[in-house]
Amino acid sequence: MSLRTAVAHRNLLYLLSLKELRTRYRKSVLGWAWSLLNPISQMIIFTIIFRYVFQRPDPVGDPSGLETFPLYFLAGLLPFQFFSISVTAAIASVEGGASLIKKVAFPHEHLVLSIIVAQFVTLLIELAVLSVAFLLFGHMVLPWLAPMLLLMCLVAMFTIGVALMLSAANVFFHDINYLWGIVAQLLFYSSPIIFVAEEIQIAWLRAITNYGPTGSFVRAAQEIMYDGQMPSLARWAQVAFYSIVMFALGSWTFNRLSPRFAEEL
Amino acid sequence: MSLLGRVNATDEAAGSDDVALRVDHVSKTFRVHHERANSLKAFVASGGRNRYDDFYALRDVSLEVRTGEALGIIGHNGSGKSTLLKCMAQILTPNEGEIVVNKRMAALLELGAGFHPELSGRDNVFLNAAILGMARKEIEERFDAIVAFSGLEEFIDSPVKTYSSGMYVRLAFAVAINVDPELLLIDEILAVGDVTFQQKCMEKFVELREQNRTLVLVTHDTGSVRHFCDRAIWLDHGTIKADGKPADVIDEYTETMLGAEETSQGGAVRRGSGEIWVERVELLVDGVADAPVRTGSKLTIRLHFDTSEVVPNPVFAVQISRLGGAMVCAPSSRDGDAVPESISGKGTVDIDVADLPLLPGPFVLHCEVTGYGRQHIYDHLQNAASFDVLSGNTDEVDGLVTLRPTWQVTGTGVHGKIDKQ
Repeated sequence: MSLRTAVAHRNLLYLLSLKELRTRYRKSVLGWAWSLLNPISQMIIFTIIFRYVFQRPDPVGDPSGLETFPLYFLAGLLPFQFFSISVTAAIASVEGGASLIKKVAFPHEHLVLSIIVAQFVTLLIELAVLSVAFLLFGHMVLPWLAPMLLLMCLVAMFTIGVALMLSAANVFFHDINYLWGIVAQLLFYSSPIIFVAEEIQIAWLRAITNYGPTGSFVRAAQEIMYDGQMPSLARWAQVAFYSIVMFALGSWTFNRLSPRFAEEL
Repeated sequence: MSLLGRVNATDEAAGSDDVALRVDHVSKTFRVHHERANSLKAFVASGGRNRYDDFYALRDVSLEVRTGEALGIIGHNGSGKSTLLKCMAQILTPNEGEIVVNKRMAALLELGAGFHPELSGRDNVFLNAAILGMARKEIEERFDAIVAFSGLEEFIDSPVKTYSSGMYVRLAFAVAINVDPELLLIDEILAVGDVTFQQKCMEKFVELREQNRTLVLVTHDTGSVRHFCDRAIWLDHGTIKADGKPADVIDEYTETMLGAEETSQGGAVRRGSGEIWVERVELLVDGVADAPVRTGSKLTIRLHFDTSEVVPNPVFAVQISRLGGAMVCAPSSRDGDAVPESISGKGTVDIDVADLPLLPGPFVLHCEVTGYGRQHIYDHLQNAASFDVLSGNTDEVDGLVTLRPTWQVTGTGVHGKIDKQ
């Protein structure tokens, strides 16, 4: 349903996404540089913490032979941040689209989808910059970009599902907005972005980071980009499972709730 | 779901092909929450139940809008007319009944929906048109027409935030009107922009009507329904109270509204030296007070006056204006050669009008008592009375007064005469 209306109104989706991209950073001096400065500053902070506060050795990429925490960190952070920022922005876009929803009949999911399209474009730019960094460190990452792109499409599907579900629920319960802030933190620290999953001693904790909904795709991204190896079929199945389930659940929820948006907002 | 995707929504009912829109036993309720549980805590605390009452905004409303018809929906605030329009526009979903749209529909409930201040006029035209349901190709085809209609050729590449509010509205309206729907729903946004632009808009509406487009207009302004529509519906407390020719429906509506308001003395402002004053003004139709005033009525305007001393040759005058608009006339007893040498005590002044030439609409009456030179003001009562003229013995609607004209068409090639329709 979601997908069909999205295709039928692809012009609206295209224009809304374009608006999203054009108006972002409009009034800032550095503009689009911010989309790179944010992950870079996080990378610096967490590298200092990882290397000098906790004094951990940099993870070793197998078979890539890389031994550079900042690259390991970014390979996991960029997909995760795409997910978390998209959901936050999607919740705000439905709430902020109240005046539009009350006055015009249009496919509401486009408010959410346009956010994710715009964020996906940002993600691709960030990954391109990251790829250059990998090349500078002597890791031939280019052949791995194809599976990475496939993985990112699955992540986008997962993100759309979560974003549709939470943005619709938030219309009825505004707590969702705040609750999401906490859940996003939880997901960030339960995914192996600033640590290495294999080093966790407690089995169930290791399982959560390895097989959790966000941990799965973070691990897959690290395997592809940092380790330079194809994720196992089990890993792909895991990521695809979460994506399909969330996408179906999100679309269903959104379609059920969106006819009542105009009177609830 | 979409505005334009509904074109082929229903072609099942044969014979209903000239019905543009059908509202079938539609009810719409809103929940009035006692304790609104829009936080999870409140929701959980109440055991997953919200305590609320259902408020009926629309109750079992059925109507058909025929192709080419211009329907005006009137009613006071909270009558459900906007809810009905939103249901027609597929913004709200009815609780019961269904709405069938057989035509390519566009709804103008807001101008400039989704305009972004940082984007240029050009980008906003594309975005706004897409939100209103136009395909990319259509927008590209009509882009020049839209810009020409708005008259903003020079500014089209500047950000909308640099526009004046007038320019903003003009651009928004230009997009809206160029969506080119077969069925157009409008929510009282006719009165926008400056006079020239309004003229352009009216022309565009007339053009749409001539092209046999269907229009549904929701408004407070009974005047525009009278001028513009060929059918009116009066909605009251979510049900249809009257449905028929605009003149009849509006008259009925206005009469009821007037009855509800009583004859309000509020709003009258008095000034003057006060030796003589007008206590009150009465409007009599065929000698009867509080009867509806119609074009062609035998109207008596009766001024009740009182004095505190003997006043030499006082002049009585009334002024009739369109409510909030132009003065229509200001006759005085001096013009009428009816000035007494002096007045003391109480009395009345009757101003008789045999065949009232005022056309339907709201009017206000001011009155004044002055010296013979009209310079000294004994008493001036602003807004002494207000009244609505209902349609009467003429079919004219535009303007303020009827000239009682008679018409003749002559020429060698003029044949016969058709019956009035």
